Amino acid sequence: MGSAIGIIANPVSARDIRRVIANATALQITDRANIVLRILSCVKACGVDHVWMMPENGGIRHHVRRGIDRAENQGQTHFPRVEHLDYKISGTVDDTLKAARLMKEKGVAAIVVLGGDGTHRAVVTACGDVPIAGVSTGTNNAFPEHREPTITGLAVGLAVTGKVPASHAYLPNKKITVRVNGHEEIALVDVAVVTERYIGARALWRTETFRELFVTFADPEVIGMSAIAGLLSPVSRLDEGGLHVRLAPEDEASIVLDTPIAPGYMRGIGIRDYAPMKPNHKYRPSIADGSIALDGEREVSFTRDDDVTIELVPNAFRTVNVSGCMQYAARHGLMRMKPDQKLKRVGGQ
Amino acid sequence: MTAPNSTAGIFPLDKPGLLQAYRTMRTIREFEERLHADFAKGDIPGFVHLYAGEEAAGTGIMMHLEDKDRIASTHRGHGHCIAKGVDTSGMMAEIYGKVSGSCRGKGGSMHIADLSKGMMGANGILGAGAPLVCGAALAAKYRGDGGVAISFVGDGASNQGTFLESLNLAAVWNLPAIFVVENNGYAESTSRDYAVAVDSFVDRAAGFGLPGVTVDGLDFFAVYEAAGEIIKRAREGGGPALLECKMIRMYGHFEGDQQTYRAKGELDDIRANKDCLKMFTQRVMEAGVISRGELDAIDREVVAEIQEASAFAKAAPLPTAADLTTDVYVNY
Repeated sequence: MGSAIGIIANPVSARDIRRVIANATALQITDRANIVLRILSCVKACGVDHVWMMPENGGIRHHVRRGIDRAENQGQTHFPRVEHLDYKISGTVDDTLKAARLMKEKGVAAIVVLGGDGTHRAVVTACGDVPIAGVSTGTNNAFPEHREPTITGLAVGLAVTGKVPASHAYLPNKKITVRVNGHEEIALVDVAVVTERYIGARALWRTETFRELFVTFADPEVIGMSAIAGLLSPVSRLDEGGLHVRLAPEDEASIVLDTPIAPGYMRGIGIRDYAPMKPNHKYRPSIADGSIALDGEREVSFTRDDDVTIELVPNAFRTVNVSGCMQYAARHGLMRMKPDQKLKRVGGQ
Repeated sequence: MTAPNSTAGIFPLDKPGLLQAYRTMRTIREFEERLHADFAKGDIPGFVHLYAGEEAAGTGIMMHLEDKDRIASTHRGHGHCIAKGVDTSGMMAEIYGKVSGSCRGKGGSMHIADLSKGMMGANGILGAGAPLVCGAALAAKYRGDGGVAISFVGDGASNQGTFLESLNLAAVWNLPAIFVVENNGYAESTSRDYAVAVDSFVDRAAGFGLPGVTVDGLDFFAVYEAAGEIIKRAREGGGPALLECKMIRMYGHFEGDQQTYRAKGELDDIRANKDCLKMFTQRVMEAGVISRGELDAIDREVVAEIQEASAFAKAAPLPTAADLTTDVYVNY
């Protein structure tokens, strides 16, 4: 089997002000490159021979190349052929969008994403029906599940080579579509309406500006804006709808919720009320002027003159079901080696 | 027509603050554009390195500072000086090497200083400002006055040993020191991609146990917000931090640089799409808190101020031979 996959590794996730206000993770470039190398060796072990990577000038590419060259110098063959897409690097989110689009055109079977919620959102915006597999290297990481990337790499390899059947290998996901005068943006986890009218440092941490929240799923084990919903009324990724939460100053609130809105950053959040968010139903912001944060980052500002709608879309894109793949692999003995394989693996690396 | 005054919950500054930010950025731009024109005529001695295009970074940071706060600048220091409140006529005269300059004509463009404003000096020695800032930050900590000290370096100068040693010292002594890497992508003509081994300036800070933040240095509000949190933390005893501002210079490394290392069309793209002043103007006008007329009035005042500074500098006398040995030493 020779299915190609794509890897999009964002060198600039986990770099915002939350390093200062909340002691958030600052994953180093060499760590990100090592994650890529681990994934490469795992997908190769499953039979993936070719990987397309996003080009970037943040350093990941150089360290990955160095790791592959060193392995080759030692006669090791456990990495697939790695090629970087060829285009002019902008150093912005446009690189991620372009990489996802080009990988789709090249027919990759899946895209592994290293980043936070924002990076995953950008990939889903452009990758169409190509399934993605997330690795958390961002700040809040509500969307990508936390696990050792070795396992994510194995699951992707098992899924794209057909060793795990598609019925077990992939899961459907919801998204939220935000339209401002017809211009469309998406969120994978949460859409927050805040009063600020500038994008600025993007991150959300001033709770007094929060007004309203829409989430695709609500997990009490995540942090960030979606944690507010998760601690109120959990909704799974596979449930049909989401949750709509209206926020209020603490003195007007029916509930004040102690919430980790950033890593280690606990704040009281006033809740006016909350209700299920219906799929395929158009909601409008409760304030006339403000900004919309997508997956925790301010992205779009609007005024009373703008037409803004917010809509939950079910079955919007697919992810690799890492847990499902590994369970299937274990139950069906997919990782049990034949005698000739054992000899090869010992000699090969 | 005057736009409404309230910016509460909309912008992180009130309307006078927004107007001041615009005035500072506009003053820097006008000052540098003037130097660009006058240098080409051969009127100005030495070299000048212009800050045009990078105004949002210096302004967004300096708006959080007071005179007691110290900064150490770089060879590209005019913008830092103006944002820190140094008089533009004195600066212009200094650049012309005249006795009425900020340093009596002995420093020139790369050594403008005004201690009364907390401006410890531009510096022609790359990376040399970082150790100075450790000293100023130690003094502030010793005095307990809540002051901070900020070192500006370029992406190239951040490779200097002095800079790295300073990160270490600031971390060890938990100094109210802040290290701003103004990453404009080129160390003179050498691309950052080639010359910076660690690839990320934030990783470099992490190596010394400092938090690091990267912002879009073209976005005044992004810089203002991030710098505000970092400076507040340092004032309160939270310790040093690094702020990387990704930015773009509109002119060459120095005036006269042919910029053959730039891609075709890069400069046109910068002027058209990556001008921090245009971005700021668009944002505040779209929000309806500042009108075009209010900005135009500031433009007129700034043009007049820089015209006056230029005339003042040109008319001022040069130092004499007798001035050579004055102001060399300072009594403590």
